[in-house]
Amino acid sequence: MKTLITLFLTLSITSLSFSQNELPSMELKTLEGKSIQLQDISKDQVVVISLWATWCVPCKNELDAISEVYDDWVDETNVKLYAVSVDDSRTVSRVKPLVNGKSWDFTILLDTNNDLKRELGASTIPLTLIIKNGKIVYRHSGYTPGSEEALFEEIKKHS
Amino acid sequence: MKKTAVLFLLILPILSFSQETEEEKETIFKEFLNNLSGSFETNAQWYVNDNVLGDFDDPIPEFELENKHLRANSYLRLDYRFLNNFTFGLQAESYEPLPLLSYFPEYKGTELTNYYINFKNKKLDITAGHFYEQFGSGLLLRTFEERQLGLNNALRGGRIKYTPTNYLSVTALYGNHRIGFDHSEGDVFGLDLNIDLKEVIGLEGLSRFNFGASYVGKSEEFTAPVDEFDPNNTFDTTDFPELINSYAFRFDVDFGKFFVNTEYSLKGEDISFTAASLGNPQIIEGKYFDGSAILFTTGYTVKGFGVSSTFRRLENMSFSSDRDLVRPGNNPFGMGSINFTPALTKQQDYSLSNIYLYQAQSPLFIQNFGGQAGEIGGQIDMYYSFKKGSTIGGKYGTKVTANMSYWSLLDATFDQDNSTYDSELFKFGEKLYKDINFEIKKKWSKEWSSVLFYQNLAINKNLAIEGSYIPNDEAITSNIIVAETTRKFSGGRSMRLELQHLSTDEDLKNWAGGTLEYVVNRNLAFYVADIYNYGNDNKDEQYHYYNFGGSYTKGATRVALNYGRQRGGLFCVGGVCRIVPENTGLSLNLTTAF
Repeated sequence: MKTLITLFLTLSITSLSFSQNELPSMELKTLEGKSIQLQDISKDQVVVISLWATWCVPCKNELDAISEVYDDWVDETNVKLYAVSVDDSRTVSRVKPLVNGKSWDFTILLDTNNDLKRELGASTIPLTLIIKNGKIVYRHSGYTPGSEEALFEEIKKHS
Repeated sequence: MKKTAVLFLLILPILSFSQETEEEKETIFKEFLNNLSGSFETNAQWYVNDNVLGDFDDPIPEFELENKHLRANSYLRLDYRFLNNFTFGLQAESYEPLPLLSYFPEYKGTELTNYYINFKNKKLDITAGHFYEQFGSGLLLRTFEERQLGLNNALRGGRIKYTPTNYLSVTALYGNHRIGFDHSEGDVFGLDLNIDLKEVIGLEGLSRFNFGASYVGKSEEFTAPVDEFDPNNTFDTTDFPELINSYAFRFDVDFGKFFVNTEYSLKGEDISFTAASLGNPQIIEGKYFDGSAILFTTGYTVKGFGVSSTFRRLENMSFSSDRDLVRPGNNPFGMGSINFTPALTKQQDYSLSNIYLYQAQSPLFIQNFGGQAGEIGGQIDMYYSFKKGSTIGGKYGTKVTANMSYWSLLDATFDQDNSTYDSELFKFGEKLYKDINFEIKKKWSKEWSSVLFYQNLAINKNLAIEGSYIPNDEAITSNIIVAETTRKFSGGRSMRLELQHLSTDEDLKNWAGGTLEYVVNRNLAFYVADIYNYGNDNKDEQYHYYNFGGSYTKGATRVALNYGRQRGGLFCVGGVCRIVPENTGLSLNLTTAF
């Protein structure tokens, strides 16, 4: 118990004083097998990164909801959304048919062995990040109906 | 003492700058923090005695004696970046005063479990220490962490990834698997090559054409067992597979609308054991068998429609870094696995559709029952969106998802007297699992949406309940219906109601369930849920497994508090399962990242 408390205290002190803001430097593959350097994606525009999986219902709800208004978002803020699938080899073959079946217009990236998920310390998904010039400027985990509107307000602040 | 080391590492950089001026100190401190990132997670539970289900009881006798009702599994991960290209990281885990129920019992106390140092530039990525890696689809090698199952098989050793051009990458690695707080006896080495043939050949007609090849070797010393009763009966170690060489090849081709992913792997000759039922299974002398896996996925997708189908055949594909972990019954917690062969069925998220779950049957058992050599089967997934404005699509659209899977034992004949067997290439043996399910998602208006889900499944009874196959066991056939609806209100509030029903004539018979969730705003939500085994033949065991709780999320921090009863049985994450005993209690989950 003592150790736990020590760990916890260390943590609360440190977490109060700073927050992670660099996006981890990492290479992820697109559905077409092309490599993308994460640091490069937010060079010219504000970017949203959403960690999701084919088996995660709130994740799919969030991306469905954003998909409905995505064109308006792009028109207004020039934002680009990268939907990073954390599906492992059990479910990764579902990603492409699901994305097309749902007519999502996002760029899909694959994090099959969860390297990005681990580096971001995301123990639950969905995890949504807003990235500007390689820095994480906003972070939210979980999805509740309608929270895509709050996400858009945040995007507008940074674009 | 390792805990002190962790704290010391944290504090050291701060202390060592004592000679600087106040201002300098501050900048250095800020810089230090800027380069530090990490995460913390704790899952604590206070087990209570339940006046219906009975008193709290730990199935591990040694833990039961300690009678600890309050327990927590905690994880602290830290990564520190320095000199542009370097990262140093560590993970400390604490299971105090004991691990949560049904976790690997060797997780006891607090330890520094993972540590690494990494150098990375455009072409090179070098790691010393613990690392996670996956070759292809993981049929031969995958190291990963799944905290909910207590699994972390990170390799400790070294890894070099080299990407000389944009169409070629090579990975070489060496290490020992993490097993609890310890590491495997066996050494694992691997080599993996990926070539983007589309770039090399310059094929314009294809959207993807990748080729990959892997080698994975495992080497572990063998000391021949001594026969206590007959010292003259010595174990003949000729041809004993101390080193197992395995290979895999894969192709991913994508024509745009049509795609094919395929992988073939061959595991070198490995040992097998005598029957578990006789007690103390022994390695069968002189009988060594190789294994193989075929994975073939193909699909067709256009906008609004997607279909994919997967076929997989596994024969003798359990691959472990410690020989002793393959001994029947010796590894209920699934430690030390080199490869990853999960059940290829749909991962369901409704509580009643998580009662009867399939687990992949990869190992070879010659002497158990009539013998088993592997599994064969497949699944099909389909996604379709009805167009908005069409009759079924309505104003806001309608989405349909369907999935079917079928798995059976690989057909094989066993000669148990001589400990040999013959398997068929593409012949299906005894049926183990069949599942047909579909889901319709309909948005009625801006505020209302609903989901209807149906599932029909049949599964080998012992496999579903105990997690192991018994030949010709009766099948459990069940039908599950779920309906849920969500109503959105202003200000981020919403309400979700979910009703479930499972009907079956076997095992515990019928179940009914319901969940009501209220979202106050995007940060705060509450729920109540119950599943009720009203069909149980024994009236005294028609239990309610109720749960209620709430969660608060802000930025990178999430706190959830929950009170209720946990149904006992197989608990699975991503196709990997462990058995959890029934329990009641209060749980607190806290996660944060910084």
